[in-house]
Amino acid sequence: MLDGSLAHPRPAALATVVGVVNGLTMVLSAWAIGWTTDHLVIPALAGREVSRATWWVAVGAILGVSTVRWTTIVLRGIASGRVQHAAQARTRRAVVRHYLDLDLGWHRRHSPGRLLSTAVSDVDAVWLPTAFLYFALGMVVMLVVAMVQLMTRDAALGAVGLTLVTSVLALNLLYQRALTPRAQAAQAARGDLGAAALESIDGGQVVRTLGLVDHEERRIGDAAGRLRAANVRMGDVSSLFDPMLELLPTGAILAVLAVGAGRVESGALTVGVVVEVVYLLLTVSIPLNVISRFLGMLPMSAAGGSRVAAVLESDNVTRFGARRLADEGPLDVRVVHAQVTRGSRVLLDDIDLHLAPGEIVALVGATGAGKSTVVDLVTRQIDPTSGVVRIGTPTTDGVDAVELAADQVASHIGLVAQDSWLFAGSLLDNLVLDGHPREARSYRDDEVEAALVAARADEVVRALPDGLDTIVGERGGRLSGGQRQRICLARTLLRGPRLLVLDDATSALDPAVERDVLDAIADLRGRTTVLVVGGRPSSVAIADRVVLLDRGRIVSSGTHAELMAAEPAYGRVLDAYGSAQHRV
Amino acid sequence: MSEHPPPGLADLGRSSARDVLARVRQTSPSIVTGLWLTVILAAVAGAGRIVTPLTVQQALDHGLLDTDADASSVVAHAVAVGAGATLAALVASWWLNRRVYRRLEQALAELRTAGVARVHRMAPETAATTRSADLVTRLTSDVDAVTTFAQNGGVVLLVNVMQMIIAGVIITAYSWQLALPVLALAVALTVAMTRIQSVVATRYLAVRESVSELQTTVGEAVAGIAVVRSTGTRARMAADLDAAVDRTAAAQRRTLVPLHVNTALGEIAISLMTVAVVVLGVRWSSGASGWEPSLGLTAGEVVSMLLLVTFFVRPLQSLVQMLGEAQNAVAGWRRALELVTAPGGTVGGEAHDLPSGPISVRLLDVSAGYGGPPVVHRLEVAIDSGEHIAVIGETGSGKSTFAKLVTRQIAPSRGVVLLGGVPIGDVSDRSLQRRVAIVPQDPFLFNVTIAENIVMGARSGSWDLDAIVESLGLGPWLDGLPDGLSTRVGVRGARLSAGERQLVALARTALVDPDLLVLDEATSGVDPATDVRLQRALSSLTAGRTTISIAHRMATAQGADRVLVFDGGRIVQDGAHDDLVTQPGVYARLHDAWTEHITAGA
Repeated sequence: MLDGSLAHPRPAALATVVGVVNGLTMVLSAWAIGWTTDHLVIPALAGREVSRATWWVAVGAILGVSTVRWTTIVLRGIASGRVQHAAQARTRRAVVRHYLDLDLGWHRRHSPGRLLSTAVSDVDAVWLPTAFLYFALGMVVMLVVAMVQLMTRDAALGAVGLTLVTSVLALNLLYQRALTPRAQAAQAARGDLGAAALESIDGGQVVRTLGLVDHEERRIGDAAGRLRAANVRMGDVSSLFDPMLELLPTGAILAVLAVGAGRVESGALTVGVVVEVVYLLLTVSIPLNVISRFLGMLPMSAAGGSRVAAVLESDNVTRFGARRLADEGPLDVRVVHAQVTRGSRVLLDDIDLHLAPGEIVALVGATGAGKSTVVDLVTRQIDPTSGVVRIGTPTTDGVDAVELAADQVASHIGLVAQDSWLFAGSLLDNLVLDGHPREARSYRDDEVEAALVAARADEVVRALPDGLDTIVGERGGRLSGGQRQRICLARTLLRGPRLLVLDDATSALDPAVERDVLDAIADLRGRTTVLVVGGRPSSVAIADRVVLLDRGRIVSSGTHAELMAAEPAYGRVLDAYGSAQHRV
Repeated sequence: MSEHPPPGLADLGRSSARDVLARVRQTSPSIVTGLWLTVILAAVAGAGRIVTPLTVQQALDHGLLDTDADASSVVAHAVAVGAGATLAALVASWWLNRRVYRRLEQALAELRTAGVARVHRMAPETAATTRSADLVTRLTSDVDAVTTFAQNGGVVLLVNVMQMIIAGVIITAYSWQLALPVLALAVALTVAMTRIQSVVATRYLAVRESVSELQTTVGEAVAGIAVVRSTGTRARMAADLDAAVDRTAAAQRRTLVPLHVNTALGEIAISLMTVAVVVLGVRWSSGASGWEPSLGLTAGEVVSMLLLVTFFVRPLQSLVQMLGEAQNAVAGWRRALELVTAPGGTVGGEAHDLPSGPISVRLLDVSAGYGGPPVVHRLEVAIDSGEHIAVIGETGSGKSTFAKLVTRQIAPSRGVVLLGGVPIGDVSDRSLQRRVAIVPQDPFLFNVTIAENIVMGARSGSWDLDAIVESLGLGPWLDGLPDGLSTRVGVRGARLSAGERQLVALARTALVDPDLLVLDEATSGVDPATDVRLQRALSSLTAGRTTISIAHRMATAQGADRVLVFDGGRIVQDGAHDDLVTQPGVYARLHDAWTEHITAGA
């Protein structure tokens, strides 16, 4: 919180000053009431003459103190809020920008939902106490002044005041201690119920088909019952503590009257002072509650803070060098002795793979053979645990992918991933993104059209009433799977990559469409290096060479015919439909 | 608040508060029983709080300022009475709060449970067209709004009202003339605060909107991080994120002025009332002249009124500030009620069970769509019981709509669908639920183990998990998983690939043993070798029941008794594979593309 104040010194300084002044006005307004009682109310109602000046002083004191008080309330609120929101925005920006820099491996280990809640709720929680910081600070000053003043007036009254302050604070701390675990339990129960309800409703079709309605009603009923119990446990605590905290000052006021009566009788105190103390105690519960609320927020803030720090301090950031890829033309990719392990599992075991410039290579293997890991390697989504990936051009030697500058991979290598992911904007925005990656210009209409035709996405666009201006919705949700896949293909083709990687990127297409798309890919032969991943016979047909992957190792490489002849495993993976058809 | 709920839910947006209350009373009767006790407890709690000013007045007038009295004993007496009242207020508040919390939470738990049950008993066509996120919100955060309101002061609402009324009555009893300016100021304060509160509410709404926009943007960045990196659009994404963060901060800043001005207004009102009580009270009681009334107030009464002003304004302030949250709570409860009191499934007393055995399917002149123009046109289909039909066509040809029609996920806009001779709208939910099964392209799995997901479908205890796994040839796949059948599948089955999810769904459906089985691209995600194995296994699964397989892979069609070919929402061909493949037409064309696809490179 201190660094937040230092980062925004002007509103922080203002909030501190007006916070303290506001605290003092609470003491002053009690004093004004007491003075008015002694010098105006009692003498006037006892029939004694009261001077005009006294009237004016009384009214002026009450209104004057009040004016200072409400102005400082407004100023303190605005200044605190400015510090809070500015600090929030600063932290949040740092967190989300760090998300963009962290590598894919890190992202795969963290659920998007968790990251979202860190960027939104955790950052909020970190800075929430700031809203009460300056308020609480002023109240502490006020309490000190009030207690000192009480003590100097009368030790016994001071003792009553001190007892009140300590018991309210103690009670508040007890309250927080009792409430915090219960609030966390309620929060967890709420989360459980939400997850269970979402699952149950999302899976509604299954629930109905399998006749699980009663079972689900019981399951959700149990979760709702647990939330009810958690909320009630929380309510039970506040049911007792709230009225106690509210009524403690009343008790203190009664004590002041009992003690004060004797003092007034003996002439040690005036009635006005007793009224002043009563008035002060009546308002003292506000600062005490603010201070406890502030203290109560600190654990939550710290918890949020540690989650935010965990993100900001993680250094799984992809490192880049400064090398750039020269001239034009298809890329030359060499994966040399690459080993990839995750934990104790070996995903890729000593892989050697060469993609010659302009060559079309198909990578085939059963589910779990490690195809996607090879894709990650050649597109530099991950780096090999050992070994090296060299990326070169027809005329230059390969550069270790690790030494490439930050923008190089994205501007020279195109990937069409398994899941077709689109941004929420328009179709056109999704296609052009930031324009041509290497020539720093926007695309011409004919380039967009050509990419759409090659991906057979032109008919998708034509079928939509708004054409390229169609808003595709969150993650492209308004398009069907096949439509999304074609748009993703067009997006990558439009960028004119020098290495094109298709990771099972035609799975959602009808055979006829897939054939056209693969024909268009085949036309890139010689101009772009292409790696086609997936065990589909149609994609193998356009490949110059096929590489067979099995349990993390390359077991064979050659033309389709060679592999058919030499590798029974290859036939099994690839020819399933063919043999099925022969049997029918 | 005036927005309409999705179709299929009760629309309470225009219902009067009385009507909503009647529904609350009907759905949660416990909330209103024993209301009299609640009111009495609130009155005791409210009155007990106000005893302070009265004690002060007694102590001053009959003790400290009365030279004749024995001050100590009078004050001691007053303090004793005050202490008793305070203790009574404490006990009453405690009792009241516990009571309200318990009854409220009981009602809310019932509301949530009833809501989920309602969703599952909805007509399938309603369930299929309503966004699940909206339904979940109605049962979680909307209902939570009521709890939040209760915890942030809603529980003491009644006590606050009581305290305010009692303070107002006492002030008026001391002097109605003096009460006039106090009440006038209170009215002015209420009006001003309510106005500003509505500004605060509008600006908070803007904050909520900007936060939800922020969530969408951050969600897009983290979920689409792979695309952001592979397309090199980090700068673009960063700019979007910055803009969303700044918009949220700006929206939050805009709430500050009205929010804190509103707090300050209470202070202004208290000080003006104080001055009014001091000046007018003392003047009219000491030396009133001309038109001025003569009040005859004592010093104790004036001081007591000064304190009472605070007791009057503070609850008023918190009431107005609670207004927004109270509105949220009412709106939340209303939205939950819209779901809970939604009209039930399609049929009431006239529900028919399906005849036993495999179910025949007939479509007579059926058109259907999704609100817009029809997607399928005037379909005429007759499927005999026990027949195995393949449905073939390009994406968007109407295949999936056909699947939804025969499983009652959408209703026809024209014509009629008969299952086993019964119009589908009249089929009882019970018999539709267990006897008609659809395996969709992206089946839903629960966040439990693979085994638990499969046995969910079991009708009784007499199932053999190993046999099912064996008959579908899933053994090798399961052996490859670290925990085999005990592998947890994650939320929505996210830890499995799309194809693996389909395998689990097929095994699950095999245990359900339905009489009409609809496979909607149910094996599209599995690799070819597995698919072929599955198709063979499915032929044993499809025996003895009516089966409709929808696919874009021709392998499916070849194993079927008959093929329906969809094109542009119509059935253009209908016949056995061997006949269709020789006729020029859509089927032959698709088949050629397929043949080329599988024999490529050979």
